[in-house]
Amino acid sequence: MLQNKKNVFWEALIITIAIFLAGLFLGMMLETRSSNKISELYISSEVNLADASTLSKLIGSKDADCEITREKSIEFANKIYEEARYLEQIESSGKLTDSLKLLHRKYDLLRTLLWIGTSESLENCNNFHSVVYLYEYETEDIEKKAKQNVWSRILFEEKGKNKNLILIPIAVDQDITSLNFLLSKYDLTQFPSVLIDNKDKFFDQNELQKALGGILED
Amino acid sequence: MEKLTIVYLIYTFLAFYFLILYVLTFVQNRKQFYEVIKPTKNYSLSIVVPCYNEADTIQKTIKALLDSNYKGLEKIIVVDDCSKDDSFNIIKEYSKKDKRVLAVQTPKNTGNAAGAKNYGAKFVTTELIGFSDADSFPKPDAIEKMVGYFNDRKTGAVTSRVLVANNVNKLSKIQAIEYKVIAFTRKLLGFLESIYVTNGPLSIYRKEAFDDVNGFDEKNLTEDIEITWHFVLKGWKVHMAIPANAYTTVPVKVKDWFRQRIRWNVGGLQTIAKYRKKYFQCGMLGFFIMPFFVLSWILGLAGLFFLLYRFARFITIKYLVAKYSVEAQVAIINFQDLNLSPSILFFFGMVLFVIGLIYTFVAMAHSREEKIKHPLHDIFIYSIFYLLMYPPLLIISIYKFLRGKKSW
Repeated sequence: MLQNKKNVFWEALIITIAIFLAGLFLGMMLETRSSNKISELYISSEVNLADASTLSKLIGSKDADCEITREKSIEFANKIYEEARYLEQIESSGKLTDSLKLLHRKYDLLRTLLWIGTSESLENCNNFHSVVYLYEYETEDIEKKAKQNVWSRILFEEKGKNKNLILIPIAVDQDITSLNFLLSKYDLTQFPSVLIDNKDKFFDQNELQKALGGILED
Repeated sequence: MEKLTIVYLIYTFLAFYFLILYVLTFVQNRKQFYEVIKPTKNYSLSIVVPCYNEADTIQKTIKALLDSNYKGLEKIIVVDDCSKDDSFNIIKEYSKKDKRVLAVQTPKNTGNAAGAKNYGAKFVTTELIGFSDADSFPKPDAIEKMVGYFNDRKTGAVTSRVLVANNVNKLSKIQAIEYKVIAFTRKLLGFLESIYVTNGPLSIYRKEAFDDVNGFDEKNLTEDIEITWHFVLKGWKVHMAIPANAYTTVPVKVKDWFRQRIRWNVGGLQTIAKYRKKYFQCGMLGFFIMPFFVLSWILGLAGLFFLLYRFARFITIKYLVAKYSVEAQVAIINFQDLNLSPSILFFFGMVLFVIGLIYTFVAMAHSREEKIKHPLHDIFIYSIFYLLMYPPLLIISIYKFLRGKKSW
C-alpha cells in the first residue's frame, strides 16, 4: 500500500516548488513594476536637473540667474525629495531583487549632483539656505535608525515652514565616489549629521533645531 | 537578498510542503478516510486501565468499556497504582458486579502510567491488548471499529480518535478544536504509515507486538509515543481508526494544561534522544517520522524567534522614535510610518495562514461530532493565539529536559 503512497512525498514537493516559484516570480514582477515606476520618475528628474543646470549657464544676467537658480533648485529639490519619500515607502516591499536599492543609490547620486549645483549657486547668490542631511541607509543600529527617523521628521517640518530652504537628504553608505569626496572635503565622519549652507555642521539634535530656528527667523 | 529573507523563505517553503503533503494525502485517500475494516475473526481482547487517584472518573471509564459492543472483549484489567483516594475500592466493587472486570493493585506506586500499564499487561492472555486511561470513555462501538485492522498480520497497533469529554470552559473548548485537528492530521499520517503516537484514551496492540517491544518504556514520560516508534522500528504497522471515538477529560485550568503539555514535550524529547541513531534508517521511522517530528518543532521555534525578533525590533524602534520625537517636539507618528506596500513575504505568510485556517475548518468538518458546534471566534483563538503557545512551551520543555527533568 505504501509504495503508491510514497509518491505523495514527491508530488507534494513538485507542487510546493511550483507554487513557490510562481510566488517568487510574481513577487519579482511586482518589485520590477514598482522599480519601473520609480525609474520613470527618476529619468524625468534627471532631465530636470540637466535642464536647470543648462539654463543657469545660458542666462547671462547675474540677478536673473540667481533668482531663477533659486526657484529651480528649490523646485527640483522638492520634486526629488517627494520622489525619494515615495521610493522609501515602497522599497521595504523589495525583498527579492536589489532593483529598488539600486534606484535609491541613483537618487543619492542625483542629490549629490544637486548638492554640488547648489554649492555653486550658494557662493554666487546666497539667496537661499542649503540643508544637506547625511544619514546611513543600511545601518542595523536600532538607536541610529530611530535617531535618523526623528531627524528626518524635524527637517521635513522645517522644510514646510521655510520656503527658502533646500533640503537634500543623502545616504552616505552608497559607495558614491563624488559623495565620499564631498564628505571628506567637509570632514563629515559622524552620522546622522546636517550641513547647513556648506558651513555649519550639526551632530546634535538640539543644536540643529536651534540653528534651524535661527534660519526661520531670518 | 538579506539573510533573514532567505531564512523566512526556507521556513515558508517547508511549511508549504507539509501543508500540501497533507492536502494531497487527504485528496488521494478521502474515500478510505472513514473506512471500517470488518474483522475476519473474533479477536480476543483485554483492556488495561491504569489508575492513580481517579476516583471521580474510574467508574465512568469502566462502565464505558463494559458498554462496548465488541464481543471479543474478555477482560478489563483495572490497575490501581496505590492510589491515595478511594479508587481501588470502587474498582473492587465493579469487579464483584461483573466478572470481566479484574481489580489489581501494584505492590508499590510505580510513579508513572507506563509502570501500571506494564503491570496490568502481565495478566493478559488474549490475542490483543488494549489500553485506556482512567479518565477516558470510549464509545460503545469504538473497539469493534478498530479490531478489523488486525486482519493484517503486520498490524501491531491501532489507535482511536480522541475527543474532548468536558467542554466546560474556553480552554477546554479550544482543546476540543485542537484534538479534532490532531486526529485529522494523525489519520492523514496513517495513510503515510507515519503515525507517531498511539494515544492513551484508547489504543489496541497485538499482544505479540507488545511483547516484541518489551512493553512500555517506564523511563519515558510519554510511553505512548515511545512504544509507537518502537513498533515502527520493529516493522509493525500502526493504524488509526478515525470512526472509533474515545472521549477524554482535558485540563480546564491553565496550570494543569501547562503541566500536561510540558510532560508531553519532555517525553517527546526523551523519545527523540532514545532513537537519535535511527535518523535516516529503519524505513518510515528514520526517514519521515523522526525528521517530521523534529522539523515541526524546529519550524515552530524558528517561527517564534522570527516573530519575536521582528516584533522586538519594531517595538524598540517605535519606542526610541517616540522618545526622541517627544524630546524634539515633533510628531510622534506620521503618514510615512504606515507601510502600504507589503512585500511578497507578507503575501506568502498570509497564504500560509489562510491555507492553515482552511485546513482547520476541513479537519473540523470531518470530526463528525454531532451537537458540538465551535463558534468562529474559538477557531480564530485556536489558530492565532493558542498555536502560538506551542513554541514557548517547547522552549521550557527543552530547558527542563536538559536539566534532567524526567518525572513530573
